Amino acid sequence: MKAFSAVFVARYKQFIRDRAALFFSFIFPIIFILLFGWAFQNMGTQTFKVGLADQGSPQITAYITIGLNSVILEGDVKMFKTEIGDPEDLRAKLEKGDLDAVIEIPAGMDTLVALGASDNVQVYYDASQTVNQQMLIPALSQVINAIDERIGEYTPPIGMNQQSVQSHALRYIDFLLPGILGMTLMFIGVQGGLPIIQQRQAHIIKRLGSTPLRRSTLVLGDLLFRMIVILASAALIILVGRLVFDVQMIGNWLSLCGIILLGSLVFVSLGYLIAALVKTQESAIPVVQIVNLPMMILSGTFFSIASMPAFIEPLIKILPLTYVNDALRQIMVSGAPLHSMTTDIAVLAAWAVACLALTIRFFKWD
Amino acid sequence: MDVSSSKVIGVTNLVKTYGSVKAVNQISFEVAQGEVFGMLGPNGAGKTTAVEIMEGLRTADSGSATVLGMDVSKDTRAVKERIGVQSQSPALFPGLKVREIINFFRSLYKKSVPTTRIIELAALQESRDVLFRNLSGGQQQRLSVALAFVNDPEIIFLDEPTTGLDPQARRAMWEVIETFQRAGKTVVLTTHYMEEAQRLCDRIAIMDYGQIIALDSPQRLIESNIKESAIQFKMKDYPGDQALTSLPDVSKVVREGDDIIVYTSSIPSAISGLLAMASQRSTELSEISVRQATLEDVFLKLTGKRIRD
Repeated sequence: MKAFSAVFVARYKQFIRDRAALFFSFIFPIIFILLFGWAFQNMGTQTFKVGLADQGSPQITAYITIGLNSVILEGDVKMFKTEIGDPEDLRAKLEKGDLDAVIEIPAGMDTLVALGASDNVQVYYDASQTVNQQMLIPALSQVINAIDERIGEYTPPIGMNQQSVQSHALRYIDFLLPGILGMTLMFIGVQGGLPIIQQRQAHIIKRLGSTPLRRSTLVLGDLLFRMIVILASAALIILVGRLVFDVQMIGNWLSLCGIILLGSLVFVSLGYLIAALVKTQESAIPVVQIVNLPMMILSGTFFSIASMPAFIEPLIKILPLTYVNDALRQIMVSGAPLHSMTTDIAVLAAWAVACLALTIRFFKWD
Repeated sequence: MDVSSSKVIGVTNLVKTYGSVKAVNQISFEVAQGEVFGMLGPNGAGKTTAVEIMEGLRTADSGSATVLGMDVSKDTRAVKERIGVQSQSPALFPGLKVREIINFFRSLYKKSVPTTRIIELAALQESRDVLFRNLSGGQQQRLSVALAFVNDPEIIFLDEPTTGLDPQARRAMWEVIETFQRAGKTVVLTTHYMEEAQRLCDRIAIMDYGQIIALDSPQRLIESNIKESAIQFKMKDYPGDQALTSLPDVSKVVREGDDIIVYTSSIPSAISGLLAMASQRSTELSEISVRQATLEDVFLKLTGKRIRD
């Protein structure tokens, strides 16, 4: 116990004197959150001007108008400003940037819908604006879906104004924060291999080998310290998200801790595996980057993995961060329970077991 | 010296092989309590491997090593509890202060001496709150050696303890070792410095190619191996080994760079022979010195190498 706390305290003191480690564990994720959070902040309260081009279906046009007008954001602001007009005029306004989207309702749609058939409305928008991709189109399709449901039930469309879109669910920061959390677990965990390589290279581990210190004590002291750093960093990330951007944690806190610890175990063992396979610190630093960077970009930290090209999907499906991010997002954003994410948990457990087994097989103390 | 009565280390037929290289090949020896036992040998002779087996850092392929009455391969932790080890590389946690490193090592043992005692041994009173990475090479080395004393050990293993120290610090380290010995404790020492070995060691094992080729007190090693004195000099045109050994009373010739050393049982006849040969060949002898044989000469004779090769 004395030796264990000595290992722990030694790790702690070295850590707080290591500016690079401190930066990557605490400052770096916070910078990401603040930067991306502020850059996309207006997306939460963004309003859009939508033109409705009625080509002879006044009923449907009215439904859509009422539906769009019923979306109220925080501060009693309507998300959409609607304007009914001639298709050509509206398209010209869209091109000038006076409108954000134009919806064309084809002629005869009233009749078709009344007969129980369906038809599509055409939506025009500027796809080069990310805000349109992230906010406008999802909100529009939610409105259209809501109308579809109402019409499907033959309910008068008057009830539409009660059908408000979840104003909270679509903010980018809510999506981003669990990703930053996952990424930080990865950084802290995988980097943990570096001090081990450095101490082995400088024969410090060998020196410790001539004392009664057990290797298991050395490993457990290191592991426990790293887990505490990870939990502290996670708490800081969640706190900053809450205080600065009002990011809510909808799910169960214990489930969240469980996934954070499982994810850290995977990445810490990945760091140990690097220490088992790479002999020198000089060659380990690029290896750590080769492990971290693709995951940071591909595993859905900043963008949804659905927006990735199909040919890298098999790669994405292998990376552990994909599953950590998915599980964290499900808990934090949707409040999903652990039993609904058994795939994530199984894949992560498999990763941890594989990394630890390979580490035990290949690790050399000197 | 009668070792068996107070034996603290016993090594029997120890073998350690790395690939096809026999790093340690069938060595046996005993060390008595209170002895300073030296191990000398060129690099790669197997000293460090042998010492690391005694410390419990490596396991032997065959043979046995007993330390303080315990089999090192079985009671490894109990042995480590009672020995002190300084390894060749002085590196310690770069991000910890001197005081913190000492406290860290103290807490690894059941028994330990006060932190201030170790700071004194390392002569780092002024630097107790300095980070290890900011210490000079000599300071790091002194701390590394002093830490071997942290658990008040009964046996201390020192691997090149004074390498990298200036002469003054080296002498201070010798005094530390001698004080330790006076307290009835045992020291196993590997060193490159003949002067150090000759001054400190009660007995010396000379190793080469994994084997002990000589084991005795420094004085007896010299007496039994080299009965002659050494004449060392430089000569412009080397006349060849043959010409030198055929001089009266010269038994052996060794060349070390520009230096020529001849061993002789009679200094006057060897010198007059050398001078005669020099004038005959119309060349000159320079930097002539005559001395008693030293451990260095023994080492050179037995291994054919200088210790620093």
